[in-house]
Amino acid sequence: MIPLATSLTGPFPRPETVVAATRDLDRGRARPEEVEAAYRAAERELVGLERELGLLPRTGGYLRWPDLFRPFASGWRGLEVGPLTRWFETNTFYRQPILRHPPERTPGALSAWLPAATTSLPASEAKVILPGPYTFAELLDNQSGETSLSLIHRLGRLLSEEIRELRSLGYGQFQFQEPLLVLRPPEGPAAESVRAAYRALADALGPSESALWTFFGDAAPTFPLLASLPVSYVGIDLAETDPDALSAPQGLPGLGLGCIDPRTTLVEEPAELARIVARTVERLHPRRITLGPGAALDLLPWPAAVRKLRMLPKARAEIVSTGAAG
Amino acid sequence: MSRPLFPAQEIGSLARPRWQLLGQRGAALDDAARRELRRWNDRLDFLPKTDERLQQFLSSGAGAFPAETVREWGSLFGLRYLEGVGLDRVYDGEARRVEMYEAAVRHMRGFTFEGHVRSFDQKYYRKAAASGPVGLEAPYHLEEFRYAKEHARRELKLPVTGPYTIADWSFNEYYLGRRPGWKHRAARREAQREFVEAVAREAIRPTLQALVAAGCRVIQVDEPAAGTHPDEAELVAAGFNAATEGIDAEFSIHICFSDYRSLFPALLEAKRCRQWALEFANRDTDHHDAYAELAMLREYGDEREVGLGVLDVHRDAVERPEQVRDRILRASRALGDPGRIWVNPDCGLRTRSLEVAWAKLESLVSGARLARESLAGSAG
Repeated sequence: MIPLATSLTGPFPRPETVVAATRDLDRGRARPEEVEAAYRAAERELVGLERELGLLPRTGGYLRWPDLFRPFASGWRGLEVGPLTRWFETNTFYRQPILRHPPERTPGALSAWLPAATTSLPASEAKVILPGPYTFAELLDNQSGETSLSLIHRLGRLLSEEIRELRSLGYGQFQFQEPLLVLRPPEGPAAESVRAAYRALADALGPSESALWTFFGDAAPTFPLLASLPVSYVGIDLAETDPDALSAPQGLPGLGLGCIDPRTTLVEEPAELARIVARTVERLHPRRITLGPGAALDLLPWPAAVRKLRMLPKARAEIVSTGAAG
Repeated sequence: MSRPLFPAQEIGSLARPRWQLLGQRGAALDDAARRELRRWNDRLDFLPKTDERLQQFLSSGAGAFPAETVREWGSLFGLRYLEGVGLDRVYDGEARRVEMYEAAVRHMRGFTFEGHVRSFDQKYYRKAAASGPVGLEAPYHLEEFRYAKEHARRELKLPVTGPYTIADWSFNEYYLGRRPGWKHRAARREAQREFVEAVAREAIRPTLQALVAAGCRVIQVDEPAAGTHPDEAELVAAGFNAATEGIDAEFSIHICFSDYRSLFPALLEAKRCRQWALEFANRDTDHHDAYAELAMLREYGDEREVGLGVLDVHRDAVERPEQVRDRILRASRALGDPGRIWVNPDCGLRTRSLEVAWAKLESLVSGARLARESLAGSAG
């Protein structure tokens, strides 16, 4: 049987306690220590839930990240925190980073945002979730004069330097968020830049586990490119992608199946998911399967996210019972 | 009604003053709240200083003052604030509404609140799921409108959250869950159409009818979600048409933080919409002339008014009047007709302090005047 893992794939929603504390802070009714205490308690609860449900690697929820780019927009030289911009087809917004000069990383800045610094998780158990170089390059406002193609490669190299630093702190599991690879697939020279960026990342990753996670779009048209990139597994969003439409070369690495749709509170059916996994394993022969949310669960309120996440162990049990993976 | 060129209008909510927040939940005012109330009352004179109730409020303990009176004063403050800064069209800063989505959904049947979801940074909204067929408990915003109508000294424009936004910001469990194959895109789309039309016909239209019957003439339908799914622009228009069908009022649609190119021309089908009230300042930079996008309306031959967003509502930096003037003039060139332009903030100013919002609105009013002078000068 091929290995089967379950893991969160993006930020978790903030619970009501953190919502209240951060709002009160903005209104001058709470002190920073109270907000910190609310975060700590929520992160403890979430790590406990990840352990209870057997999710691995764990994340601690990335509750403090305002958006995927903020640690970089506020921490790297050459980047600024820019205007409020819609996060794909959601009612969530991010601050678009503005690149005015060639970016330079600030050593040590990123690690302060990561699970080992903010939660009780040891780095060895935690997954580092980062923007993928293509999505990062395409979503920032590039006023630096550098071409887009060159920027993709440059961001790949800078993220590689971050990864080397994080590996020295004990992190060994990394995930790159790449919705644009399926929403705006790169072609020709842009695809070459993406390959070059991921080669640079692979050099830095060494034996670390790495995932490229796509969401909000149909991965089928781009899947040959995705499957050729040097990562441990590629994640797809099952709300947008029909796995029966995927074609992959022999030797597909792992496959991530984003089986929880954060755009609805309706809970997915474990038995249906088991059937999808069995069919996909038989057809594509991935070396491993990872199940997780299709896109970040922070589009849901905390109670609904917990309710839906609790489906994962049930789905896992169903899949094991079919013999497809385990 | 005679208006100046580039009349100024409100677009949505204002920050609630501390005295109102404390007072309406029955808490005693602290020193900061008392100072704030005295300071704004000195400036706007919205409560007579000799009013015994004011003295009682300033000195009363927790629970000793009626919350409804505080809410009314909040409305009155919003009106005088927007009138005082010089806007031509005003409302009450949505002083009595908890938030634009929840304030409407609370009055509808078929919804269950699930909890808070983050919108950005540390801003959240309480999100509901449609768990049954949508209906209306009773038309809403009536009480606040009647109060505003009684007290306003300028023309009123009432904001109402639109059907597409109500549906998009909710979880569509009832209309989606009863379809086979609910996980598939085609099923989601059809279920969403059903949901939007139900909200429009069953909840918003009867509310608009009641508001118009109460004397409301100018209504802004807020559709900040309009740009969320570019391939659903036609559904935004369909929801608007269903909600406003047969209703005689002056309607506008407010949209923000969206790619307008993806919405037009489909949105032109919103038949009874007289004005597009749009955000631009947030995206207007040294390198990008956001107002050039208005040329699109000229390309489509659309001759409706434009409510021009000239203030970035998410930053404290106050726009200079000259910057506002330049934005208006650039928009005038792109649209090809200055006479169709109203000026307004990008969106509600609720996330800015009252002091910052006031300074920004002063710049808006001054910038509109400078733009008028500039055009008059160039004509002469």
